[in-house]
Amino acid sequence: MALVGQQELGSAWLHPISYAIRNALTQGVPIDNIVLLLLLPLVAAVIAASRHLIGLRGFGIFLPAALSAVFVATGPVVGIGLFLVIVTVSTFSRMLLRRLRVKLQYLPRMALILLVVVLAVLAILFVGPQIFGRRELAEVSIFPVIILVLLAEDFTRAQLGKSIRIAASLTVETLILALMSFVFLSLSALQEFALLNPEIYLLMVLGLDLFLGTYSGLRLLEIWRFRKLIRN
Amino acid sequence: MHLSSILGLNARFQLYSYPSNSRRGRKVAGSKLLTKRILRKAEIPIPEIYAKFTTQEDIYNFDWTKLPERFAFKPSRGLGGEGIVVVRKKATRHSSSGQVEWITTQRTRVGIEDLKLHGMDILEGAYSAGNVPDNAFIEEFVGRNKAFRRYAYRGTPDIRVIVYNKVPVMAMLRLPTRESSGRANIHQGALGVGVDIATGVTTHAVWHGNLIRFKPGSKRKLHGIKIPQWNRILEIATACSEPIGLGYLGVDVVLHPEKGPMVLEVNAEPGLEIQLANIAGLRRRLDRVEGLYVESTQQGVQIAKALFASSFAARVRAEAEGGKTVNIFEMIKIQGGQGQKIEVQAKVDSGAWRTSVDWTLAEKLGLLKESNILGTRKVRNPLGEERRPIIGLTFWLGGKKISTAAGVSFRGHLKKKVIIGRRDLTGFLVQPH
Repeated sequence: MALVGQQELGSAWLHPISYAIRNALTQGVPIDNIVLLLLLPLVAAVIAASRHLIGLRGFGIFLPAALSAVFVATGPVVGIGLFLVIVTVSTFSRMLLRRLRVKLQYLPRMALILLVVVLAVLAILFVGPQIFGRRELAEVSIFPVIILVLLAEDFTRAQLGKSIRIAASLTVETLILALMSFVFLSLSALQEFALLNPEIYLLMVLGLDLFLGTYSGLRLLEIWRFRKLIRN
Repeated sequence: MHLSSILGLNARFQLYSYPSNSRRGRKVAGSKLLTKRILRKAEIPIPEIYAKFTTQEDIYNFDWTKLPERFAFKPSRGLGGEGIVVVRKKATRHSSSGQVEWITTQRTRVGIEDLKLHGMDILEGAYSAGNVPDNAFIEEFVGRNKAFRRYAYRGTPDIRVIVYNKVPVMAMLRLPTRESSGRANIHQGALGVGVDIATGVTTHAVWHGNLIRFKPGSKRKLHGIKIPQWNRILEIATACSEPIGLGYLGVDVVLHPEKGPMVLEVNAEPGLEIQLANIAGLRRRLDRVEGLYVESTQQGVQIAKALFASSFAARVRAEAEGGKTVNIFEMIKIQGGQGQKIEVQAKVDSGAWRTSVDWTLAEKLGLLKESNILGTRKVRNPLGEERRPIIGLTFWLGGKKISTAAGVSFRGHLKKKVIIGRRDLTGFLVQPH
């Protein structure tokens, strides 16, 4: 806040977003919201870059980005913990349904799994603060938790028919992507740069997006995958 | 191989599948039912469809007891072979309620209720991309061709052909394994076996991204398998491109044991594992056929055979025409005076007329006996002329028995004690290196 106030701004034509931000801040919009909003395009670009340059797949762009925002809200440890619990519970309830030969149609089955997941999350929220002595668990706001619960469906769907190994590797890749995005979201130098030079920052993200969209070379992991071809 | 020869996911989309494939083509490829309709109109062979289900009523109203002994139940938009139930035969025992039951290729029992529920799942979109509502269908069961009987585990193998600009650029045989539970999808653990485009003979094999030589858990070689009706496979795969509206596509062909090759499905973004199975870069091959003017399917196949033949293709083709290829140096078996067989290194020499054997060797084998000498011939040497015997000789070259009249010479200082002359090389092709 102080930084933005101190900054000398030039013409409003050259810095329209800077003026808008300063205006919003004086009107009482929380600075964290603006920072998170400004950094979101970068997070999306980073996830796109790790897909197109490195070759990490993950579950699309929405899942890791949403996860990283959840991590910002809950803290990474609690976030990952909740995430793993939810994924495990939904996987196990799916396997249990199959083992018990309960044959339900797809949507009712998903609803049932969601029910089990909600029970598990409730149990953690009730029991967690007492047993683990983690105050954070009690103070977690409900929206990140709901997002996490809803993500369970995407995971269950992604697992459908796939081998456990593929599902697990996709989950791990998603976690890596989400953690990477979380680091970007919480870098204070980056936050400051985006806040003080929003125009330059957004143009850079735009440039990165355009570059990624037209890059047609091999991805890093593909070079590894086809290493035997290269050696020959 | 250079990095730029290899096709990656980025280039596949940006340079090939996106610019070459029409919107309509991608839509058709996404739906097996639409694909079948168009291929049937184009008179490309496909497995017969027994039933189609688009609404829940279809499932209720269908007379399930009328289904034949063997069939495949599939979602129209299933991804990666998911949601497919293949039924191999009717169960001999009926279920407790007295209804018909079938045995799947994965050796589980399914009854009519199971099939109905599975159909509901499919219609709900449990197996489609993005879980959009889907259609289900039941089609003819395509059994395993006997050429693949020893290589595939339970399921039916298929042949993936990548076609670009109406030229079949690369092909791979996909063999189901125990792990892929009878499905021919590489990502579920099926084997990918590269195939030489010119001859239809398999070359290399990959399993889980690693090159292998034998079928897992056995000593059965995976290279050198000759795929039957290869030309026809390439032709029907290539013929799919135009009616469907895809310039870059992967076509999955199955070999029906009686009816021959049939197209199972097409793919607008075929997988890249095929490069490993062929130890060849796809991008380089695509570059070579890009922009060529290809008039017909047959011409496209001819271009592919000329451009992408493997080093052994010429040999395979010659052998198909009845020739047997031999190298310059070959191990041969010679029959000795007492009928014994001895292995010796021989030199194939088309510069010589008559086959000749080293004197010492001939003596050792008992070939210089009076009864075996057929005559003599004059040989000129620096000291004048001498007469050398001509002997009867029986030997085996490349599995072929040859009985001939051979000369005897002094080759004691040379490594190869036998020279095979052109008189005895009729029907052979000599590989000069």
